[in-house]
Amino acid sequence: MRFFARRITFYLITLWAAISLNFAIPKMMPGDPKQLFMEKLMRKGIEITPGMQKSIDLLFGEDDSSLWDQYVSYLNNIFHGNLGVSTTFFPKPVTELIAAALPWTLGLMGIATIISFVLGIAGGAWVGWKRGTWVDHVIPASTLLQALPYFWLALILISTFAVTLQWFPVIGGYDIFSYDYGPEWSWSFVGSVIYHGTLPAMTIIISSVGGWLLGMRNMMVATLSEDYITTAEAKGLRPMRIARTYATRNAALPSIAGFGISLGFVVAGSVVMEEVFSYPGLGKLLFDAVRENDYALMQGVFLVITVAVLAANFIMDMIYGFIDPRTRHNA
Amino acid sequence: MIRSVARKRLLTAVALVTGVTMFAAGCSSSGDPKDDGGSGEARVLNVWAGTQTPVVANFNPYAPNPLHAANGAIYEPLFYYNKAKAGAPEPRLGEEFTWAEDGLSLTVTIREGVTWTDGKPFTVEDVVFSYSNDAAKSPFLESAEKVDDKTVKLTFNSPQFTGEVQFLGTTLMVPEHIWKDVADKATWANEAPVGTGPFTFDAVTDASYTVVANEDYWDGAPKVKKVRYLGVDENQSAENLLTTGKIDWAAMFVPDPERITGPGRLSMINTPQDPTVLYTCSTASQGCTGPQTDIAVRQALDLLVDRTEINEKAFAGQAAPASPTFALLGRDDRWISPDVEAESPQTADPAAAAKVLEGAGYTKGADGIYEKAGQKVELTLITVAGWTDYNTVGDLVASAAGDAGIKVTHEQVTQQEMSDMRVAGSFQLMVGGITGPSLDDPFQIYRQWLSTDYTQAVGTALESGDFNFARYSNPVLDAAVAEAAATNDEDAKKAAYATIQTEIARDLPYIPIVVNASQTFMDTKDFAGWPTEDNLYAFPPSWSTVSLGVVLSKLEPAAS
Amino acid sequence: MPDDIRDAETVTPAVDAAPSASVVVDGLPPQNHTQGIVPDVPITTPDHVVAAGPAPKRGLRAMLPPFSGKLLIGLILTLGILLFAVLAPLLSQDPRYLKNASRLPPSSEHLLGTTASGADIFAQLAHGGLGSLMVGLLAGIIAVVLSLFFGVVSGYTGGWTNDLLSFVTNVMLVIPGLPLIIVISAYLESRSLVVIALVLGLTGWAGGAVVLRSQAKSLRSRDYVSAARVAGEKSGRIILVEILPNLLPLLTAQFLGAVLLAILGEAGLSYLGLGPSGSITWGTMLSEARAQNAFLDGSWWWYVPPGLLIALFGCGLALLNFSIDEIINPRLRTAPAAVKSVRVARKNRRAGKPAGPTASTRPSLDASTRDDEKVNA
Repeated sequence: MRFFARRITFYLITLWAAISLNFAIPKMMPGDPKQLFMEKLMRKGIEITPGMQKSIDLLFGEDDSSLWDQYVSYLNNIFHGNLGVSTTFFPKPVTELIAAALPWTLGLMGIATIISFVLGIAGGAWVGWKRGTWVDHVIPASTLLQALPYFWLALILISTFAVTLQWFPVIGGYDIFSYDYGPEWSWSFVGSVIYHGTLPAMTIIISSVGGWLLGMRNMMVATLSEDYITTAEAKGLRPMRIARTYATRNAALPSIAGFGISLGFVVAGSVVMEEVFSYPGLGKLLFDAVRENDYALMQGVFLVITVAVLAANFIMDMIYGFIDPRTRHNA
Repeated sequence: MIRSVARKRLLTAVALVTGVTMFAAGCSSSGDPKDDGGSGEARVLNVWAGTQTPVVANFNPYAPNPLHAANGAIYEPLFYYNKAKAGAPEPRLGEEFTWAEDGLSLTVTIREGVTWTDGKPFTVEDVVFSYSNDAAKSPFLESAEKVDDKTVKLTFNSPQFTGEVQFLGTTLMVPEHIWKDVADKATWANEAPVGTGPFTFDAVTDASYTVVANEDYWDGAPKVKKVRYLGVDENQSAENLLTTGKIDWAAMFVPDPERITGPGRLSMINTPQDPTVLYTCSTASQGCTGPQTDIAVRQALDLLVDRTEINEKAFAGQAAPASPTFALLGRDDRWISPDVEAESPQTADPAAAAKVLEGAGYTKGADGIYEKAGQKVELTLITVAGWTDYNTVGDLVASAAGDAGIKVTHEQVTQQEMSDMRVAGSFQLMVGGITGPSLDDPFQIYRQWLSTDYTQAVGTALESGDFNFARYSNPVLDAAVAEAAATNDEDAKKAAYATIQTEIARDLPYIPIVVNASQTFMDTKDFAGWPTEDNLYAFPPSWSTVSLGVVLSKLEPAAS
Repeated sequence: MPDDIRDAETVTPAVDAAPSASVVVDGLPPQNHTQGIVPDVPITTPDHVVAAGPAPKRGLRAMLPPFSGKLLIGLILTLGILLFAVLAPLLSQDPRYLKNASRLPPSSEHLLGTTASGADIFAQLAHGGLGSLMVGLLAGIIAVVLSLFFGVVSGYTGGWTNDLLSFVTNVMLVIPGLPLIIVISAYLESRSLVVIALVLGLTGWAGGAVVLRSQAKSLRSRDYVSAARVAGEKSGRIILVEILPNLLPLLTAQFLGAVLLAILGEAGLSYLGLGPSGSITWGTMLSEARAQNAFLDGSWWWYVPPGLLIALFGCGLALLNFSIDEIINPRLRTAPAAVKSVRVARKNRRAGKPAGPTASTRPSLDASTRDDEKVNA
């Protein structure tokens, strides 16, 4: 119980630290968002009418209160779910934009990461089991895959499979040409989502499965050298039984612990990938916010990502505490 | 744990079957892009105007970034000014207009028999409201009054001949009966717009928005019945969609357009409009410092740059030749003075540049760099990092100047820094653009980018609307600008422009480089009625305000 | 207490300096290498079980990785690319020389063709290598130094210094790296190579610190460390002289990992337009290639080499890391060999040949696996 209490306290404090960091960064950095916004309009050749000027002034309102007051009102706003209004997607509030994007990111990224995790663990277990055979030579190949730049792989996949071969669609989370009235709950829509998510998911899986595989393989080899495995072998248990029940479970523990951290970071890693595929997720929102100097949106997305990472870690911590009794009972 | 092997196998099979079914369902539903919902209607026109995802439902013409269909397809102005070619403005919701001699008032006759898409009639009261409501009111407008049921009179506080295009061409007509109750006109999202234009609002999602034909349109119902504007985030993705047949109208820069038009479905038209120039902080009396304040140095730079090479390497050969008069060659030929070279030199002439410098008293030092009175000619050239076309221009200019004896250091900065420098005047040379005028007359450039009223001394930030970044201050030019502003007589204007052009062709406060390309890709196989080189009835790009409405109203599905 | 055990299980050593940064750009999982907990008691084996193996290595040679195919490939790749980055710029054109014709395909004059502005791609690749590697190196050093400080000092000192430093480490670990980097880079006025390396290093040390912390904690209870403390040596000297050398393989592995992640991070930032301005790196090459439509018009000679070199260099680093892992946990090396020898022996027996010298099924643990045979022991 003390274990849980400690972890919960830690996460709450970290949450506060993240929120404050989110508040502090823009205050410390130089730059005038209003000027930049108008610059951008000019570069696009858009003439700024008097009406537009008024709305721009409204948007980038002046704030003369003290830093502490701003901080307090910032915290207040967050707890009321008010993250401001986006300038890029004016006048949509930031919370609405994030709420629309979150399911896509969680869906695509979450599922792709889980698939690559499962594939990596299973593959690593198999490679580890087959240690000393030709399978060991798979290892350099998986390190190469792992070191490929994410976005480079994505662009090559698009140009091969979507443009040249036309097996997969070019952009989007679903078929934007068939659903003019928005997403609907039908089998064909779900199918469209899966079809459009295949290439992005492939990118994630190809570039991340190698890491899980290697780690699991090493843990597997180490675990298989343990005494209790030798005992099991001596006792005459079936090899598959040993592999599944004894070796893999123990070998997977560090990977499971690391999964929590990586699940959170998957959102981060998705930034470039979503932009390349025009996939309507959080990563693309962050990228757009940065490109357009949309500070409210940037902060909002960063906050949500941080909270998601914290939540994922918290859940994984609890799960880990559950599956590994040593952590609980040594309190 | 699933101990029973049989049960595990069953579960695997179920998962596989479900996955395959959904996959197949998805594939089949997204199969044919030409099918617009299976209702058997005509082909939908798929457009990309630059909107990114998520698409935000904002059809408010007074907002900074409304959806493109609002500006022309849904709302219209009184007249259409076609900046693609010279010519008189085309009547839209207005039929005729007359200027008073002194330019202080403008009388306009309104078209009759027009209705809003909610059925109410379009009246003079709507016109008056569209000019005088607090979001639209111009500081130059004194009042807009109804004269009778067909006529409106606009009164100004100063001669506004040069503001004609702003009042008659870009002010959109909005229905009074809806907008008068809107408290904050600038921030209202106007999600179900009511307008007079050829199309009306249909639906908006995060990924796209659609408009359908207005069957009661005053110019006849459009033949294209549904237009779908897509949200696409990257130019690359838009190009991919063009080549895979999913987009029918898009405008963006493509270095090798033949790759896209080659297969035959698409055609490209290139209508260059905005000059790309080197801003120079030109006038020492305004506080500018550096060798570029000397006319001889600017003239030498003008002769040193190889515009053909720059066009090829920075703009993939798609840009058009620039003119030191900033009149658009071709369209604005009648405004170009015969005493001035119409076109900037297209190849480098280092010998001529050397002559200019040496004639002004510069001598080449031992290190090959010109100097005068102990001061070397060393300049800094600013571009924004990441704007690759400008970055290449900067590299090429620096290299050409270096070879000829002027040391130019190309520095890449962030957009914020560039903007600060430009507004404060704390730069020597900068690659930038000049916004082309909204009609076939270069006056806007002469006034806003070159006259003393629109600039400040170095160190004082320019206000928004002041574009004289070069800090150019020339009383001769100022007088000519004032003259041209006060008259509507073409010959008088030509004379004034001739004076202006002589000054700026000699002084070169902005050194012209090229005129930026403006490429539009159109599906000429499935649709007819596009603007063509021979029939440039409208400015073609899909993002162009007001023009897009004109184009959409004239398009029709090709007979097949 | 629970945190100790959890640390031991959770974060496995021989991980790169920043498992959090390891997923920064690519969504990779942290490198889950084996448990390399430095054993407290030297592993001894009864003499009669140990078959006639090679003589135990002593001293520094005990620390070097055992020679293997993977090590060879790793060294070839890493050193090869390093040499390329250092020597090739001397042999190629100025990468900023723009007077060539633009968009040329590969030819004898331009090995990889030219860019849209007329620069030689091979020259850019060579100079870009220097740029990317410098960013990687600098960021790696920063990350390792920071994780050393936060990890070893907190692990060794204990008490509330430990609590404070641990807290900072854990917060940095959990706050997502890439978004932080993106947000910071977006606000920066000027972005030079050094600044980018700084940002990458500052956001990537947390994972390594956690590992080092648990190691330092366990090392603290060693005999020789206790002896030094009793003898009155200052903590600083103990850390420097007694503890650090034992952590050398770990640090090397972390450093290599951090370098790779920094290079990938810089490539990602450049692609997003937030990379170092004015410098040439492999990342900026990819970004320019994309802006000039190279991915669409088929100029593979522009965008394939930089990505490939990044991948190959990363592959080399990862293989080197792998070999270092084999020092830290010798079971990784000996177990496969042992299993293989069992299989070979079985095959030989079936074929009727006499059993080979390594007939024992036990992994032969020679003294080279004694992690406590230190340089200064």
